[in-house]
Amino acid sequence: MSSAKQSTTWDLQLRQLLLPKLDQEASECEDAIAIDTQTCRFAVADGATEAFDARNWAERLAQHWVQRKSTLTLEEFREWVAAEGRELHDSWNGLTLSWYSEEKARKGSFAALVGVELDLKNESASWKAIALGDTCLLHCRKGTLVKSLPLKCSESFNSAPVLVASDSSLHETSMQSVVTDSGICQAGDVLLLLSDAAASWCLQRFENKDLDVPEFLSVKSDEELQEFFDTERMAGRIRNDDLAIVRIEIKRSKS
Amino acid sequence: MYSAQITRANPTCIILLIDQSGSMGDPFSGDSARKKSDFVAEVVNHTLHDLVIRCTKTEEVRNYYHVSVIGYGRSVGSCFSGELGGRPIVPIAHVADYPLQVKSSYKRVSDGGGGWVEIPVRYPVWIHPAADGKTPMCEALTRVQEILRGWLLEHPRGFPPTVLHLTDGESSDGDPNEIGRQIMSLGTDDGTVLLFNCHISTRRSAKIEYPTEETSLPDGFARTLFDISSRLPTNFLAAAAQLGVNALEGSRGFVFNGDPSSIVQFYEIGTSLTGMTPYRWMDDRTEPA
Repeated sequence: MSSAKQSTTWDLQLRQLLLPKLDQEASECEDAIAIDTQTCRFAVADGATEAFDARNWAERLAQHWVQRKSTLTLEEFREWVAAEGRELHDSWNGLTLSWYSEEKARKGSFAALVGVELDLKNESASWKAIALGDTCLLHCRKGTLVKSLPLKCSESFNSAPVLVASDSSLHETSMQSVVTDSGICQAGDVLLLLSDAAASWCLQRFENKDLDVPEFLSVKSDEELQEFFDTERMAGRIRNDDLAIVRIEIKRSKS
Repeated sequence: MYSAQITRANPTCIILLIDQSGSMGDPFSGDSARKKSDFVAEVVNHTLHDLVIRCTKTEEVRNYYHVSVIGYGRSVGSCFSGELGGRPIVPIAHVADYPLQVKSSYKRVSDGGGGWVEIPVRYPVWIHPAADGKTPMCEALTRVQEILRGWLLEHPRGFPPTVLHLTDGESSDGDPNEIGRQIMSLGTDDGTVLLFNCHISTRRSAKIEYPTEETSLPDGFARTLFDISSRLPTNFLAAAAQLGVNALEGSRGFVFNGDPSSIVQFYEIGTSLTGMTPYRWMDDRTEPA
């Protein structure tokens, strides 16, 4: 848990959790989290397990997105993804690949991405977000869900979401699924950035009204959260997938 | 049931059982240029290619599947040769590393901007066509049962094995019903073995795909294969729906009088496993023929 003073009016309280699948090493985790308190940008990306170099693509998307100052409109986003994809593909040049890696690389890489930018410079706090795939942003207020994007409910998750492709020849159709949105924050509001398994679980908690997730993610220690999510995944109540969770609480500045 | 996650710790097993009797050297009806055995070998090689690609993680192939390809005709045994020869079942990473040859070619795909570009593609080959001898289906199914028993001893948990059996004729060594039922009684903690059957025909008869009941079937042989075909689990039904195949709750993994497109779909649905998106035979971006 960390705090960051953003202006004379607003502070942020931040928390992040990144867990690999139960049977995998941390180095195999294909979810990525990026936080930049200077740009006030936050992102979660989820590399598609079946894609070539998915971990690298997810990390690249998340880290580079938070460093940017634009990419919140579809046109900017599309241009930026195309450039990132070219750089990724260039990084594969010169590799000596087996036939299967070559075939896999030919299809490019895929990841889901959600990014949110906070504007805390004024009296009124606000956010703008962009998302493609099934990584989600949840805007929560006093234990209730204000907004969720790009997916709205736990039943919307399936195994074949439209993702951010590194191959720009696929963007003609995939970019049609990009979702942009914005919102106004009040003091005490919590924004959650979540990869798919965590988002699905979280939305289900809101639907069932059986757990105040923003509160739960605040009061538990890192060890308790890891133990909880391991137990839930072992029991099959949460799919055994990588988990990425970023909790951003917007607070009134004390001074 | 049929919901276990396929992992390296809990892999699943896929057995492709292929009729290689003499009649497989005949052409499909209406397509005198194409032998059934040639087409089936091509589809099996594509299926193995697809399974390898699914398990490829950048530069590593993860052993999510253990694969066997058994042929029956003049003899019964593994269709693998070369480095894989003599091994009844092999981890998918070994399949990846030891094709008999890798053919190179080019295909035209959309460049995303309204034009077309040629890109290199690889076609690995593991099995060659074969068509000789009778149809010892019972002996072949017995061989499959032996392989499964050995594999299940080491892998009692996880997604159960799938057997995809393709034939063009009736058994020449007895009624396969009993051995088929024995295979279907084996299983893991996640369900019994899935045995799916695809019968292909040289006759111009109407094909019957994924029936729910045997009353629509034309003869005793069709009913026998129906009886030893497992019901398609939910995830397989979803894969069938994605391919535009009309399969319903209660549908058996069974095709009778199938044509070439039935064979392709049979392997795609049969290897879709836990609801993964079925492999598209050609990329969506490929230039239409």
